[in-house]
Amino acid sequence: MPVFRRIFPMLLLAGLAASPAALAQAQKPAGFPDGPGREVLAAKCFQCHTPTMWQDHRSDRRGWESVLYRMVGRGALWTEDEIRTMAGYLAGAYGRPAAAQKP
Amino acid sequence: MRELVARFLSRSISRRGFLKGLTTAGVSLASAKAVLESVVPSAQAQGATRIAPESVRMIEGTGGECFAEQLVASGVKYVFGNSASEDAQFYEALVDRPQLKYILTPHEGPGAAMAAGYVKASGEPAIVMQAAVVGMVNAMGQMFNAFKEQTPLVFYSYRTDQSRRAGRDGFEEVANQEQIVQPMTKYSWLARRAEMIPETVRRGFKAAWTPPYGPTYISWHSDFNDEKTYAEIVAQDKVDPRMRVRPNPAEVERAAKLLVEAKMPLLIVGDEVYTAKAVAKAVKLAELLGMPVTQVRQIYASFPESHPLWIGGPPAARLASLDFPKNVDVVINVGNKLQHNSPQPIVARNVKFIDMRIDSWSMGNVMTTDVPLVADVAHGLDDLTAAVEGIMTSATYKKARERAQEVQRFSENAKVLRALVSKNPDWNRSPMLADRVTAEIAQFADRDAIIVHEAGSVVLHGFDFNPLGGRELFFYYGAHLGSGVGTAAGVKLARPNQQVICLVGDGSFVFGPTALWNMARLELPVITVVYNNHAYGGPHSRVIEKVAGGKMVQKRQFVHDYLGSPDMNMASIAKGFGVDGEVVESPEQLRAALARARKATFDGKPYLIDAQTARVGVAWDDKPWIPPISIARERTRKV
Repeated sequence: MPVFRRIFPMLLLAGLAASPAALAQAQKPAGFPDGPGREVLAAKCFQCHTPTMWQDHRSDRRGWESVLYRMVGRGALWTEDEIRTMAGYLAGAYGRPAAAQKP
Repeated sequence: MRELVARFLSRSISRRGFLKGLTTAGVSLASAKAVLESVVPSAQAQGATRIAPESVRMIEGTGGECFAEQLVASGVKYVFGNSASEDAQFYEALVDRPQLKYILTPHEGPGAAMAAGYVKASGEPAIVMQAAVVGMVNAMGQMFNAFKEQTPLVFYSYRTDQSRRAGRDGFEEVANQEQIVQPMTKYSWLARRAEMIPETVRRGFKAAWTPPYGPTYISWHSDFNDEKTYAEIVAQDKVDPRMRVRPNPAEVERAAKLLVEAKMPLLIVGDEVYTAKAVAKAVKLAELLGMPVTQVRQIYASFPESHPLWIGGPPAARLASLDFPKNVDVVINVGNKLQHNSPQPIVARNVKFIDMRIDSWSMGNVMTTDVPLVADVAHGLDDLTAAVEGIMTSATYKKARERAQEVQRFSENAKVLRALVSKNPDWNRSPMLADRVTAEIAQFADRDAIIVHEAGSVVLHGFDFNPLGGRELFFYYGAHLGSGVGTAAGVKLARPNQQVICLVGDGSFVFGPTALWNMARLELPVITVVYNNHAYGGPHSRVIEKVAGGKMVQKRQFVHDYLGSPDMNMASIAKGFGVDGEVVESPEQLRAALARARKATFDGKPYLIDAQTARVGVAWDDKPWIPPISIARERTRKV
């Protein structure tokens, strides 16, 4: 893992110091259970999006991967491993309802 | 009588007019002639002093003729206008002045965008003309863009004629017309007499082209265009203050010390670097200090994106959202207006901030500034680089080299990570991902292509813009939609020997397609690509974010974002304006269409590609809901 990525979460919090509400949000976003992928998701996604953005989106792992790769096109710098991890996390926390799953 | 004498001396009335004025006022004809004879020597003497060297000369003619003559003297080659019957004498004057080329634009908005594109790409002056207040308000959207983007563009429209109609709330008349545009022009002024038309024109250009640049507005009563007058025509360079400011030397020394002593300085570049032709100077300063370089939203790319010190833009428009560096202690901004769209400052308050710009007006609006450097950034960079070189030691050179290596490691890794965009599992889908369309165009574009970008929801990647002879970017900053097609036409007018590709969203395209007709008529071979997802994608997502979990989302009822049903066919619209084009749905079709576009432009013809793109994001249905409004069903008579 490159240096810039290891130190990122800590520095992100420092960068948000001007906004206590944002800091609290990033530390403990509602609706995001603990799990692999949560940390990088909180660190990267909430710079542009509020947590509420995610609550209205449901998708399977592939769908979330597509979303995350689109964010790469918008400037997000993630490794493929990180994308897989985040997609897996989101598919668990915000997956499609069982009835909506395609066979 | 005093006013009549003044008007006679200023040549705004003739001898006959002078006598008529006096007799009308009750003076006998004999007395009036006596007064005239006493005044004539003064008038001749004044005229003699005003007969000037070549750059200052007198002209006798209609106000419209004087207008045209001053435009020539002000260096104007192109006039962008929409038909205005009260400008008849100006049009008449153009017959004998082929060097002044009038471009008829079917709508004032795209016409003004075209003029702005020409000014941006050529660095030459231009004027936009509209019919009275009704045309002016059409142009005001692009006037707003010019104001936000600091484009030196002069706008003109006449107002109701003074001698017969003004002041009656008549046809196409509004009170205080020039005041409507004041908040978004550097200068707006009325010529009070016909002979003042040329000086008002000069002042308009002088104000627009004196840094910080911006639009100006000039106006006069329409009958001044018809009136015979005698006026002074002055070459524009005789009134140009040549404001090329060098920074305060003491502040330069302070800035140099901060930068040299910094652990991790960061350079933000902006439009003033591009417009001052100072890109190579910015590169030199960055290399001297081994300093990473970024840019927040601006019109131009002002630094070579393939340079190892280029780290990319911050994804959330604040430096805190950069992945690297995270230990910035000094930031120097060179020429970026730093548009703030969030309450948080772009540069965190705990970082030392050096702000070098000619736009002193906006310095300190949001940012606190440790070292202000008000300067033409070309001069400012020269002075600062010299000051830095003056205090660098072997130890600081070594530190700079090590920092440059660290930055390079990041930028090389970032390049690899950015390329992952093509790993999207939907990369080959139809309709296409916007990213795929972008990637195909980035593959296709010439090495020195100019990309005019008004696809608001699309973030470009893969172009490696390089203002030092490579691909150039003309983005938008003002955000009054409908500028893209017009801007591209103006850019091509200014740079006919470079490939120009216009990227627009479907939403922005339909705000201003009329410049396609200009492309066809003027044989401006521009390739236009419309990212057509039949939706306002940005407002869709932002509304959901604001009302998360709301009834709109639960019921999938969005009134504001879906542009389909019926779907708009942009290629058909283009054909209506005389531009050939086609609709494509797949990456393969897009590639083939781009090849046909290249062929068309080779032959001197513009071309349009309507690229069908996917609606992606939260809560998009395959067939989105539309409000159930059908007037046909509500009728009681089938008429």
